[in-house]
Amino acid sequence: MKKTNILDVVSRKLSPFILLFGVYLVTFGHISPGGGFQGGVALASGLLLILLAQGPDVLSRTFPLLKISIMELIGYGLFLIAGMGGFLLGSGFLAPLLPPPGTIFILNVVIGAKVGAGITLICWHLFQEEKE
Amino acid sequence: MIEILLLVHLILAILVLSIRSLFTAVILMAIFSLFSAVLFFVLHAPDVALTEAAVGAGVSTFLYIWIVKRTQKEVK
Repeated sequence: MKKTNILDVVSRKLSPFILLFGVYLVTFGHISPGGGFQGGVALASGLLLILLAQGPDVLSRTFPLLKISIMELIGYGLFLIAGMGGFLLGSGFLAPLLPPPGTIFILNVVIGAKVGAGITLICWHLFQEEKE
Repeated sequence: MIEILLLVHLILAILVLSIRSLFTAVILMAIFSLFSAVLFFVLHAPDVALTEAAVGAGVSTFLYIWIVKRTQKEVK
């Protein structure tokens, strides 16, 4: 498929704003529409725009495959640790340990990072398989 | 408002199913997701609208384009 300049310029200019919108969705998930999953998918689609339009080499300059894999791996552990904070109070899993925005905010950030890394990884591996 | 949106959905769905070029069908599918997001927003479900816009128009389009690139370009 032939590549044009439009795809190059638009993807380069649009991607930071999509990433910023993803961060907004994750961090304001407890008071406005959005949350961990939606923000994570927005983050992933910002990275996928670069991956699809400019190739994996450009993306791996800022976000190497190894870094995303590590984020995806420790994301689940961080979620479990944040959820087990409720045990310190003697109540159940995911019980609020901090005052209201605290626990939800931390869980949203962890879920956002994990979902973003996970979806980016899925598509990156599919993309690499295509080249072989 | 909702009736017009549903009519647009119907037209887009028929187009997606009947068009010959698979690449055009994928792009029409993304537009279908976008109109779904608008419909969810009109029905006061902004959370679902955000998910639909991000997953339907973003990630699933990526996967479909990848699949079309791997396989044939047109319906026989």
